[in-house]
Amino acid sequence: MDKFLDRLNIYASRLVLQKEYLMPGHRACQGCAEVLALRLVAKVLGRNNIIASATGCMEIVSSPLPLTSWNVPWIHVAFENAAAVASGIEAGLKALMRKGGLPQQKINVMAMAGDGGTSDIGLQALSGAMERGHDFVYVCFDNEAYMNTGIQRSSSTPFGASTTTSPAGKVVPGQTTWKKNMPEIAAAHNIPYVATACPSYPFDLMEKVKKAADIEGPAYIHILSVCPTGWRLPPQLAIHAGRLAVETGIFPLYEVERGKYRLSVDLPELRPVEEYLKIQGRFRHLTPEMIDKIQQRVLEEYEKLKKKVEMTNEG
Amino acid sequence: MADKEMVRFAIDGQEVEAEKGTMLLPVALEYGFEIPHLCYHEAVSPYGACRLCLVEVTKRGRTRLTTSCNYPVDEGIDVTTDSEDIQRARRMILELLLARAPHSERIKKLAYEAGIKETRFSLMDVGDCILCGLCERVCREVVGADAISFISRGDKRDVGPPFADPIACIACGACVYICPTDCIKMEERGDERTIVKWNRTLKMQECKSCGKPFAPLFQLNWIIDKVNLPKDFYDLCPVCRAGR
Repeated sequence: MDKFLDRLNIYASRLVLQKEYLMPGHRACQGCAEVLALRLVAKVLGRNNIIASATGCMEIVSSPLPLTSWNVPWIHVAFENAAAVASGIEAGLKALMRKGGLPQQKINVMAMAGDGGTSDIGLQALSGAMERGHDFVYVCFDNEAYMNTGIQRSSSTPFGASTTTSPAGKVVPGQTTWKKNMPEIAAAHNIPYVATACPSYPFDLMEKVKKAADIEGPAYIHILSVCPTGWRLPPQLAIHAGRLAVETGIFPLYEVERGKYRLSVDLPELRPVEEYLKIQGRFRHLTPEMIDKIQQRVLEEYEKLKKKVEMTNEG
Repeated sequence: MADKEMVRFAIDGQEVEAEKGTMLLPVALEYGFEIPHLCYHEAVSPYGACRLCLVEVTKRGRTRLTTSCNYPVDEGIDVTTDSEDIQRARRMILELLLARAPHSERIKKLAYEAGIKETRFSLMDVGDCILCGLCERVCREVVGADAISFISRGDKRDVGPPFADPIACIACGACVYICPTDCIKMEERGDERTIVKWNRTLKMQECKSCGKPFAPLFQLNWIIDKVNLPKDFYDLCPVCRAGR
C-alpha cells in the first residue's frame, strides 16, 4: 500500500498522530522544509526517543539558550560526533537494561545532522557507528550547503549551485563538483536499512522512519530538505520544489532494505530538470549547455538506480 | 474557558494526572506504558472491539478486567497494565485474532511478542478483517462520506457498503491507511483507482497541464460540492498547481 501513500493526502493526513515532540515557536525561517521533516521524524519516533544532534540549522533554531522546542531528551554535540554520541547512548542503555538499572523496553536512539555534519565533518564517526552495528537511526537533513553559517558549499551541494563560497561568476559557474552520493555510501556499509525521503512526501517519510526504528541495527535516512533562504526560492514553493526534485529524478526516493533496492515513487517518465532549476535563484546563472549536462547526469544516475532495483530483486 | 477538572490516579503504582473524562488508554500511552491495541485511534471515537487493551482497574476496592480505550479515568482508581490475568486473557484474544487474520504482520508480531507460536483454533477465511470498525468510523467521522458500515449479525458480521453497492465511496483511501491488518487494498491502473475490498473503481482526473491522473474525479466533485469550490479548482495536479 505504501506505493500510493502520497496520493492519500486529503483525508489520511487527519489520521496522523497529533502529539508533537518538536514544539512550535522555534526560530526556523519561513517555508523551512527541514524543520517540517524533523517534526514528522520526531512524531514517528515518539516519546521513548533520545536524540543526539550535531551542530546545524536544526540545533540553532530549536534551542536558543534559555528555551527549547524539544519534548524528548535531546543532546547537542559537536559537529563531527553525532553518530558517536548516539552509539554511546545506545550502548549505555543496553548496559543499563542488562544490569537492571532500567526495565527492559524499547527506546529509540536517533542521531541527526545536516548534510555538512554528515557527508563532510561527521562521515568518519557515522561510518564507525554503522560498522559497529549499533541499533540507532541516523537522519541526515540535506539542505545542500552550510545554511546555518551563511550558505557555504558542502560536498552535498549540487553541480552548478551558487553559494557564498562557490559564487557564480564569469569564470566559474558556481559549484564545480557533483553532489556526493551519501545514501550509497551508507548502503555500502551493508547496514539493514537505508532510505531517501523528502517532506514533500510526508507519508512516505513517516513510513520510512517507522521502518528504520523497527529494524534492529543501524538505519540511515537521507532527507532532502528544501531551504528557501539558501536556495533563493520563494518560501511558498518549498514543498513544490521538493516534489519537483523527486519528479525530475534529481533526488529519487528509494529504500535499501537488507540489500534490496526499491523505488518508493516509481515514475514512468521524468519531468525535465529545467522545471526544478528555473525556480531557484542559486541556479539562475546556468546556461542551456550546463542544464543539458545536468539533465544527462540525472538520467544516467536514474538509469543506474533502476538497474540496481532490477538486479537486487531478481530471483 | 472553564478550568479543566483534573483527576489523579495510579498506573502500575505511578501517580499520573489527566483531565476528567478522557479515556484511560491515551493517558497510559502518554505516560509511556505499553498497552497493545488495534482498534483505537485518537482521531475517532473509541469502540472497544479488539479487546487487546485490557487492563485491571481497581475502584472502591473492587478489581475488574476492562478495555482501557473506552474507560473514562476517575479520581483514585488503581490501574494495573500487566498482570497474570491480563496476560492470560490477552494471549487468548491474540490466538483468536490470529485465527481470523493469519496473514496480518501486525497481529503476527503481537502474538510473537506474547509468546504464541500458533493458534489452536481453525483458521477462518475472512480476508484478514478483524471487524475492528476503524474503517467504518473513519469513513463516518473523519471523511464524512459514510460509504461503509457493519452488515449482518453474529458470525456473518462483516464491513462493507450497503447492499454491496459502493455508491457513496469516494475512493479517498483513508480506510486503506487506517486498517490495522492491511486487509483493505488499493490499486491504481492507468487512470483508474480501485479500492479492492469495497469493489469500487473510479476514473481519475487527469492534470490539465502535465496529463498525469492524480485523484478520482468523483471524489474531487464531491469535495467541490461539499465546500463550494470553483468548478475548475482541481484542474491541475498538486505539483502543477503549486507552480502557478
